[in-house]
Amino acid sequence: MKKKAIGQAGWLWTGLASIVAFIYFFPLLFIILTAFRSRSDTLATPPKWFFTPTFENFYHIFYRSMSNSTEYVATGFHAYFFNSIYISGMSVLLALLIGTLAAYGFSRYPLRGNDTYLFIILTTRMLPPIIVIVPIFLIFRITGLAGTYTGIILMYTAFNLPFSIWMMKSFFDELNTEIEDASRMDGASERSVFFGVCIPQVKAGLAATSVFALILTWNEFLFSLLLTNKFTRTMPPAMARTIGGEINVDYGLLAAMICLFIIPIFLITYLLQNQLLRGVTFGTIKK
Amino acid sequence: MSTIELQNLTKAFGDLIAVNDVSLKVEENEVLCLLGPSGCGKTTTLRMVAGLEVATSGDILIANKNVNNLDTRDRNLAMAFQFYALYPSLTVAENLANPLHAENLSAEEVKKKIFEIADILQLRDIINRKPHQLAEGEKQRVAVGRAIIRDPECFLFDEPLSRLDVQLREKMRGQIKEVLSDLKKATVIVTHDQLEALTMATKIAVMRDGFIEQVSSPHDIFAKPNNIFVAGFIGTPQMNILDCKINEINSSILKVNVLDQEVEIDFETSFNLNKDESYFLGIRPRSFEITDHNSSNTFSGQVELVENMGAEVLIHIKIKESSFKSVQNRSHNIKIGDSINLIPKKGRVHLFDKEGKVIRNE
Repeated sequence: MKKKAIGQAGWLWTGLASIVAFIYFFPLLFIILTAFRSRSDTLATPPKWFFTPTFENFYHIFYRSMSNSTEYVATGFHAYFFNSIYISGMSVLLALLIGTLAAYGFSRYPLRGNDTYLFIILTTRMLPPIIVIVPIFLIFRITGLAGTYTGIILMYTAFNLPFSIWMMKSFFDELNTEIEDASRMDGASERSVFFGVCIPQVKAGLAATSVFALILTWNEFLFSLLLTNKFTRTMPPAMARTIGGEINVDYGLLAAMICLFIIPIFLITYLLQNQLLRGVTFGTIKK
Repeated sequence: MSTIELQNLTKAFGDLIAVNDVSLKVEENEVLCLLGPSGCGKTTTLRMVAGLEVATSGDILIANKNVNNLDTRDRNLAMAFQFYALYPSLTVAENLANPLHAENLSAEEVKKKIFEIADILQLRDIINRKPHQLAEGEKQRVAVGRAIIRDPECFLFDEPLSRLDVQLREKMRGQIKEVLSDLKKATVIVTHDQLEALTMATKIAVMRDGFIEQVSSPHDIFAKPNNIFVAGFIGTPQMNILDCKINEINSSILKVNVLDQEVEIDFETSFNLNKDESYFLGIRPRSFEITDHNSSNTFSGQVELVENMGAEVLIHIKIKESSFKSVQNRSHNIKIGDSINLIPKKGRVHLFDKEGKVIRNE
């Protein structure tokens, strides 16, 4: 395909693309603007497009007056932020580790009935999670996992595993097995075939899988709401409580929280973007 | 002693028997070509020798040592792969150096070896390039280089030239043959290209459906095929296989009914044959001579089609309802519709029984 230089698309297409992009990004833009508005500016109709930016919403995330008192107290929100990072980070790592090993096994050493196993793994993603929430809640109560980091991390790992296995398997399936055989001929052990030959070739796959799993986990609301307590709570339910607890919703505060909330995902996606692009287009381009 | 020996080697994938009771021996300094159509089990056989595939039953001996239970890396073999299997992220030099990691050589020695191989295979100019920057022929040379850089017990090649274009293939055939004759090791080459086998091998094993059909020298496999399959598989254009019935046996001269004609053929040797039974005659297109008169020992018919082959022409000759092919020199100036009389050259006619096995007096 001939590569087009930037600017060759022509005014019509550039204009159309800009309109589509604007529609997509408008809500995000509005939220970011709201985060920097003062309380009175937030509620102004029509919306004020030019205003004096303020950081008070961000300050209020961590310190604000509760109920009717005027005294500012620490909200402990940084703990939820940490919880979100820790819990999604750990569960994605675990899912990636187990998923990659399983995918390699499914791809290279198929069992009798391999496809059936893979299908069973996939079926766990076919039903909406809310269906299993009652038994899971009971299991967590009985085993004492409810409210613990271990519990919610295991829960998210279990949810990320099918996706990781299927995605990583398709990456391993695409590799040329001759290279693995060649390194066996060259004296490599099975372990170094996996770590030295296969893993470096699926780096893009690892990046894509981890970002997708991370986004799913990071945004997950239901399980976190029901299976964590006030010490292990993640951002989504914590944000929801901010709205639910008061009569007047503080949109400025909420917008500031959302801004903080998207920063980690934004950073990771940005850092991995090159790998990610290769990851999501893997197999669609003929080598 | 660098030898490879296979004893009753069998490989089954579920119900499919890919390799069936194969026994072979490759001596030191011998190049064995496993030749056969796709799916005949030749690559599976090679992979079992390499230890990349586990045999269902049978034994593999390398240098007279049973290696059935040895891992690939402990068998001390080198293999060049069909798709070259170069590490995409490493340069040519690093790819060449990879097999040396297990040998614990000093950096100096590794470098020396790389340049040695690079000189043999003319890789000096591309030594710092990565595989995706190489042409097909260069990749192929790197793959060969990676196989020969170590000093293994034996060499294995899996369709080494199948991805090259015709000219490059011809050149590389010569080069590989030259390199192999210097190495003096037992070598197995898998190929589906008979020309490759005939030129590079010292011994050819023709395989079909998991069985070995014949193991012979390149000349014998061409001149003395054991059965109709080998006869038809080796040699281009394909051998004519013609139904025949024996009318009369007169010591070495047989009067046979072939293509609705009675033809006398001198086999120069006497057979134990049954009259009135049907057999197959095998005559290569190049084993006919043109004569100008019709006699008791000629195949006489009409030219149906003339195919240009450069210096020669391939002519299709029609006799009543059936036809056969012959290759003749262009100078005969043969045209479609001509009547033509052909005599099979002496000793160049093969006789096969109904099962397709050759009938021959050794």
